[in-house]
Amino acid sequence: MSHILQRWWRTLIGVLSGFFGVQSERRREEDFKEGRAIHFVVVGLLMAALFVIFVIFLVRWALSLSGA
Amino acid sequence: MGMIRIISRSFPLTLLPLTARAEWTVNLSPGVTEISRSIYDLHMTIFWICVAIGCVVFGIMFWSIFHHRKSRGAKAHHFHEHTLVEVIWTLIPLGILVAMAVPATATLVKMYDPKDAGLDVQVTGYQWKWRYQYLDQDLDFFSNLATPQEQVTNDQAKSENYLLEVDRHLVLPTDTKIRFLLTANDVIHSWWVPALAVKKDAIPGFINEAWAQIDEPGIYRGQCAELCGKDHGFMPIVVEAVSPEEFQQWLVAAKAEKAAAAEAANRSWTLDELMQRGEQVYLGTCAACHQANGEGLPPAFPALKNSPIAVGDVGAHIDIVLNGKTGTAMQAFRDQLDPVELAAVITYERNAWGNSTGEAVSPTQIADRIGAAQGEGN
Ligand code: HEC
Ligand SMILES: [Cu+2]
Repeated sequence: MSHILQRWWRTLIGVLSGFFGVQSERRREEDFKEGRAIHFVVVGLLMAALFVIFVIFLVRWALSLSGA
Repeated sequence: MGMIRIISRSFPLTLLPLTARAEWTVNLSPGVTEISRSIYDLHMTIFWICVAIGCVVFGIMFWSIFHHRKSRGAKAHHFHEHTLVEVIWTLIPLGILVAMAVPATATLVKMYDPKDAGLDVQVTGYQWKWRYQYLDQDLDFFSNLATPQEQVTNDQAKSENYLLEVDRHLVLPTDTKIRFLLTANDVIHSWWVPALAVKKDAIPGFINEAWAQIDEPGIYRGQCAELCGKDHGFMPIVVEAVSPEEFQQWLVAAKAEKAAAAEAANRSWTLDELMQRGEQVYLGTCAACHQANGEGLPPAFPALKNSPIAVGDVGAHIDIVLNGKTGTAMQAFRDQLDPVELAAVITYERNAWGNSTGEAVSPTQIADRIGAAQGEGN
C-alpha cells in the first residue's frame, strides 16, 4: 500500500516541478524510468483543474477586498 | 573645457531642470482623473522596477565578461544544471510579478466599475466622425473634424491643433462620474482620450463601457485608435470639461439650438441660402469621400458631378442621402443631419460643379419624406 502511495507522491512532485519549470536531471530520469505516463496525465489534469480553481478564488478574493 | 560642459553640450536635455522636462511629452500623461493618475503611477513604478532589473542584470553580465576575460586566462566552467540557481531565478521574477500585480489589480478593478454614474453618454464611431448621445437628456450630435482641407494639402499654414479640432466638442461636467457606452455604426473604431485614461474599442453590435470623473476643467484631445479606413486619422475627439453649473447652462443652450434648428425647417429657404448652407455641410460631411470638387475617388467613391442620381430624379437623390446604401461606405444621413442640412446639401449637389438642375429641395420636403418613411415602418 505505502509503495503505491509513494509512487503517486513522486508523480505529484514531478508534475509540480513541471508546473514550476525546474527539475533536476536525476529526478527527471527517475520519473522516466519508474513512472507511468497515465499517472502523469491524470495528476497533470487534476493539478491544472486545481490551479484554475485557485485563480477563480484569487479573483473573488481580490474583488471582495476592493468592495466591488 | 570641463567634462561637465562637454557632456552638457552633447546631451542638453540631461542637464535641464526637472520642471522643463515635465513639458517633454514623450512620457504617458498623468491625466486629469484619479484613475489616470494611478495608471501613471503604476506605469512609473513598473518602469523603475524594469530599470533596476536592467541595471542589475546587465551590471552582473558586463562585470562577469570583463572580470573573466580571456586575456586574464579565464576558463569556462562546464556544467549542465544547477537546480538551486534555477529555482532562485524563477522565484525572484515570480515575486516581482506578484508585487506588481497587487497595485495593478486594485487600479483595474476601479477602472472596470462604472456603477453609480451621474451621466451616461453613448459614443458611436462612424466613418469618420463621432456621435455623442446624452442619454436621458434628449441631446444628440455628431462631432466632425474642423481642420480645413487646405491645411491638409499644405495650401494653408497648419493651425495649432491641426487635425485635433472638431466642430462640436463633447462637453462634460467636472466632478461627476460619467459613464461612456461605446459602439460603432460601420467598422471597429476606438475612442481614446489620454487625459481621461479611456481607450476603448467601439465595435458594431457591441456596447463597451468605460467611465471617467474629470477633476479639472479644460480641453482634452484624443483620436480614433483603431485603423478604420481612409480617414482614420481625421476623426479626432475633443472633450471640453466645465463645472457642473456651466454644464447645465450648456445643456439648456444646446437644446434651445436644437429647437431653433427644428423651427428653421418650417420656414421657406431661397436657393442661395440653401446653396450656402449646403456647401458648408458638403465640405464638412461629404467631401471626405466625394471630394470638394465633386469628382469623388472612383471606383471607391463615385463622382457626384454629372452623376445620374445627382442630376436625375430628386426622389432617388433624397432617398440615397437619407438611407445610404447598405453594404457600401455611403451612410444613412437621416439621423446625422437635420432637415435643413439635408435639404441644403442635396440642393448643393444638384447645383454645384456644373450640375445645373436649378432645383431647390426644401426642408419641409425632407421632413415629409422622413415622416412618410416612419409611417410605413409602423
Ligand atoms: C464614407 C464615404 C462617404 C461619405 C462621407 C458620403 N458618401 Fe455618398 N457615396 C459613397 C459611396 C461609396 C457611394 C456609392 C454607393 C454605391 O455603391 O452605390 C455613394 C453614393 C452617393 C450618391 C449616389 C451617387 C451615384 O450617382 O450613384 C449620392 C447622391 C451621395 N453619395 C451623396 C452623399 C452626400 C450628400 C453625402 C454627405 C452628406 C455623402 N454622400 C457622403 C460614400 C460616401
Ligand atoms: Cu475610427
